[in-house]
This record gives sequence, C-alpha cells and structure tokens, in this order.
Amino acid sequence: MIDPDPKLESTPGMPDEAARIRSSRIATVAIVVASVAVLFLVGWLTTPQFVQWSNLRNIIRSGAMIGMMALGITFVTLSGNFFSLSVSQTGAFAAIAFAFLMSWGWPLPVALVVVLLGALLVGAAQGGLVALGGNPIVVTLGFGAALFGLGSILTDNKTIRHGNTAADWMGTGRPLGIPTQTWAFIFLCVIAAVVLTRTRFGRNVLFVGANKYAAAASGIRPSRVAVQVFAISAMAASIAGLFLSAQFGEGRLDSFAGDDINAIAAILVGGAALQGGEGSALRTGLGAVFIAALDNLMVLRKFSFGVRRFWVGVAILAAVSLFNYLRSRARTT
Amino acid sequence: MRSPNGIAPIIRTWAAAFPGAAGRAVRRIPPITWARAGLFVVVFLAFALTDSRFSRVVNVYTIFEGFAWLGLAALAVGITIIAGEFDLSVGSAAAVAGILAMMLIGDLGLVPTILVVALIGMAFGLVQGMLIYRLRIASLVFTLGSLIGLRGLAFMISGENTVVMPNLELAKTVKQQLGIFSPFSLTTLGIFLLVGLFLRYHRYGREIFAIGGGRNEAIAAGVPLARPLIIAFGLSGTIAAITGALLSVKSGSAAPTGFETLLLPAVTAALIGGVSLFGGKGSALGIVTGTLTIRFLISGLSLRGAAYYVERLAVGVLLIIVVVLELVLDRPELRARLRLWRLRRSMAREARAG
Repeated sequence: MIDPDPKLESTPGMPDEAARIRSSRIATVAIVVASVAVLFLVGWLTTPQFVQWSNLRNIIRSGAMIGMMALGITFVTLSGNFFSLSVSQTGAFAAIAFAFLMSWGWPLPVALVVVLLGALLVGAAQGGLVALGGNPIVVTLGFGAALFGLGSILTDNKTIRHGNTAADWMGTGRPLGIPTQTWAFIFLCVIAAVVLTRTRFGRNVLFVGANKYAAAASGIRPSRVAVQVFAISAMAASIAGLFLSAQFGEGRLDSFAGDDINAIAAILVGGAALQGGEGSALRTGLGAVFIAALDNLMVLRKFSFGVRRFWVGVAILAAVSLFNYLRSRARTT
Repeated sequence: MRSPNGIAPIIRTWAAAFPGAAGRAVRRIPPITWARAGLFVVVFLAFALTDSRFSRVVNVYTIFEGFAWLGLAALAVGITIIAGEFDLSVGSAAAVAGILAMMLIGDLGLVPTILVVALIGMAFGLVQGMLIYRLRIASLVFTLGSLIGLRGLAFMISGENTVVMPNLELAKTVKQQLGIFSPFSLTTLGIFLLVGLFLRYHRYGREIFAIGGGRNEAIAAGVPLARPLIIAFGLSGTIAAITGALLSVKSGSAAPTGFETLLLPAVTAALIGGVSLFGGKGSALGIVTGTLTIRFLISGLSLRGAAYYVERLAVGVLLIIVVVLELVLDRPELRARLRLWRLRRSMAREARAG
C-alpha cells in the first residue's frame, strides 16, 4: 500500500475545507444573533425603559432608515465593490427632489416613480464608472460631493417644505401599530434576501464578489453586475429619503448626515466580508437593528454623542476583527 | 467626437520633435502626466488671464494658505494609496490632533506642541499599521472603524465643545504673510520636501511603492510587507496630526466636528497629482501640483463670488473627471478591450448583413 500524500489532505478545496467554511458561516450567524440578543438582555436588565413598546418602536423606526440604506449597500459589498459613500447624499437629494415635485403639485405616484428613476440613473452612472475600473470609494465620494453641491445650489441651502398632505400617510402611518418605515424595511429585507439567495441575479452578485475572474470565465459579466448593484444601492437610499421627506413634509440637504457610516457599520456588524462574496440581507438587517439599539440604549443611559460614536467605532472594529479571524481560520488551517 | 486614444499619439509625435537627451526625457513622460500638467496650467491660465485679482500677491498668499493644509492632508492619504491601501481616518485624526493641540499649547508653546501632537499621531499611525498587518484586515475597513472611533474620541476629549486656544497671538505667528508664503505654508513645503526625498530615494520609501504596485512580486523579491505598511500608516498618522494641529492653531480653535469633509478634497488632490488608485504610482511633487490645481479652482471661483458650496460641487466634479481621465489614458488593457468590443460589434453586424 502506498501512503496517501500527507500534503494532499490540506490542499485547499478539499471537502473538509468546505465544511470548515460552512461552520464558520454558521458561527457568524450565531454571533450576530447572539450579540443582538445580548444587547437587548443587557438593556432589559440595566435600563427598564429600553424594552418598553414605545421605545422598541423608536429603535425599529431608526433602524429601518439605516437598514434600508444598508440593504442597498449590501448588494454593492457582496459584489466585491466595497461600499458606497454617496448613499446619504443620494437619500437627501431624493428627499429634496420629492419635496420639490410635491410642492409643484405633482401626483404622488408620479413623483415617487420620477425620484426612483432618477436614483436609478445616478446609481447606474456610478456603477458604470466602477465597471470601467474606477475605484468604488472614490467614484462614490465624488458623486456624493457633486450631489451635495447640486442640492445646495438647487435649494440655496434652505429646507424645502412642500405643504402637500398627499404623502402624509407614507411618513406617519402606522398599519397594525408599526410605522410604515418599518414595514418597508421588513418588506425590503425579505425581498433582498430572496433576490440574493433564490434568483440568478443574486447568485451572480455573490459569485462575482467571491471570484470576479472565475465569474467572468463562466459567462457572468462583472461590469453589468457592478452597474446593477450601484443602481440598487442608490434606489434603496432614495426610498429611505422618500420616507423621511414624507414623514416631515420637507426636504433637507443634511437629512442623513453621517448615516452612510451607520449603514456601513450595520453591514460590517452583520458579518459581511468587505472583499465580497459573503454576507446576507437578513444579517445586514440584524446589524441595522443592533446599531440602532446600541445607539438608543446609550442615549437612554445618557451617554454623550462623542461616547456613542466612539463605541460604534469600537463595535465595528471588534466585529470586523472577529469575523475576519473566523474566515481566515476556516480557509487556512 | 474624437476617440480618447487619439490624444496619446499626438503627444508622442509632439515629443518626438525634441532632439537628444531632452527629447528622451520628454518622451519618457506618460500621456496621463501630460494631461495632469495640462490641467494644472489650463486651470491656472483660465483664472490668471481673466481675473486681474487672481495673480496679486495677497491672492497667491491665500492660495498657498489653502495649499498648506490641503496638501498635507492629500499627502497623508496619498502615501497610503501609493502603498496600495486606503486611510479613511485622516479627517478624524486631524480633528483629535487639533483639539489636543489646543489643550497643550497653553503650557508647551507653539513648536513643542506641534511636535508632541505629531508624535502622538505617529504613534497612532504606527499602531494602526501594525494592527492592519497583524490582523490582515483590509485597511479600508479598519480605518473606517478608526474614522468613527477617533471622531468619538474628539467629542470626548473636547467635552463636545469647540476648544479655543488660550493665547490667540500664536495664530498670527503661524499665518503672518512673508511675501506669498507664511510659516504655515513654508512648514508644509518643508514636510513635502522631506517626505518627497524619503519616498523617492530612501530604500524604505521605495518599498512603499513596491508593495503598492505589485504586492506579491514585492514579497517574492524579499520586501518585508510589515515595514513599508507600518511606515506608510505611521507617516499618514503623523502628517494628518500635523495638519489638524497647524490648522487649528491658525484658526485659534478646534471643533470636535472639524475636518469632517477633509477626505474628499484630499483624495481629489492626490489623484489629480498622479497618485494611482491601483497603488505603486505617485510622487510628492505630483501631489503639490494636484493640490495647487484644486486651490486655483477654488480661489478663482470664490473671487467670482461663488457660494462656498459650489466648491464642493466643483471638487466632486473634478474628482469624477480625474477618475474618467485615469481610466481612459492610463489603462492600456481597457483601450484594448474597447477596440475588441468595437471589432466584435462590427463583425456581428457583418455577420447579420451577410
């Protein structure tokens, strides 16, 4: 008998590696769910008002706004294009555009469709540049600044109040006692999860993110995927913008200041791999709830803004280091 | 419409007119560098020829004041981009440094304060580089965490308020006009000279280019990845801290919300200056040129009375233009792909016709 080559057992691609990767994936899900659970447990034990229904509703409402943006960026991240730094400006611009259209007396459905189509174009333009080889961070940074500047010029840095009540139900309605934003977020979460796991497009996104060259070799066009994911990201951001605009009856340029960071935080806390190919919409949704709940808990504990930011930063670094460690252990040991 | 690949041959024919050694030197400069130098000259001339106020000593002094901080920030980000990484945290690091400077300057005086803050920035940068190396995390993700964490720190140490400098006289020392320069802009130029020489001629500086251009090849050739990586982030942290400290001293106060929009103009300046997002390419002189291009544009626009937010639109649009320029001029394989695509389309058309 010939002894099996000892090196062969540790060759990448062997079944035990697949098993390890699968178990590290399960560990990631477990960690995300556990951290949300622990956070709520700590909140429940230390801060009674944290678990009151009115407060929980606040958490899911603010989590919903971050979450909708984060779901859009999840597509970008999973496709291996890192993230988009223009979502807050896209959302704010959508809010402004919507406020303008409503103040001109356009019918609500037309205004909604026009804003979403506009976002689609802006997103596709960014995706196009990325598809040609542009760095996603830089392209979206540039587009974000251009959108912000354009928005400043259009509004002269003022708040646009539209005084049109047609969209009020969209911003303040509470079917079954839950805010419309939250319904939209749950709805989008399910759609995104189904699209990512059950459709050809979703599999293509993950495949391109996991290995761009292998995907290209098997007939998927990474450039087309890039255009699609950035369009999705811009549309998700503009949906958040539409809800915000409808809620307050206005469009403001600083509506989402700092929210791209929160959205990206949600994705990273949800355990998505920034190099692409690994992550899920539901985990991003949980990540958004985690970030919103963490912030809410710290507000109730009267932590100042700076301390709250600091801990969000720490949460990101901890999550990223931990998930990165899990993944690298699954691939290399 | 002329196709973008028409520009390179024109420049080549033009460069061929130069004889001897000068011609060889001219021909060695790639088309994208010509495009950048052209942009620099065109933006300058566009304002200098149309507005007599533009080239006055006071305005040139103002341009250099703007250059002083933007250039430093661009250098900080640029070094990490050259190393094939990306430091998103420079804005937050500058904010923390500014607040530290305001707190220390009453006791220490001007120069020691800047030095101490620079050392703190260096220590932070070195630790950040070490962690990125050890944990093998993409620097983009890691510095996103420190971008948020440091911002929080800035709020914490400042008590959420703007910190005012106790001895406001020092602000005048930093920005006093010496011809077209000030101590601030001269310091910046000095830093550029030192860092530029280090990057260009020192072995450790060359290693930063090596790991940026072809990381696997560099490692195979024996470059220790840890050293250039940690040095690049150390330099980035140091320079970001100096930016924050000097600019806060100059304005006499530091706010915890400061420098939040620093990243955009800094990256734009670095990219216009020829730092390649693919890593391994760029120079200190290039970053000087890129920064000045932006400052010319902003100065010219504000002389015309444009609102401050037009600046941001202009810088954003400029960034997009530079990305597109780099894509079409600097990527031979893309041009090849474009040709292939055209060929395939025309063949398909013929096949359909025949």
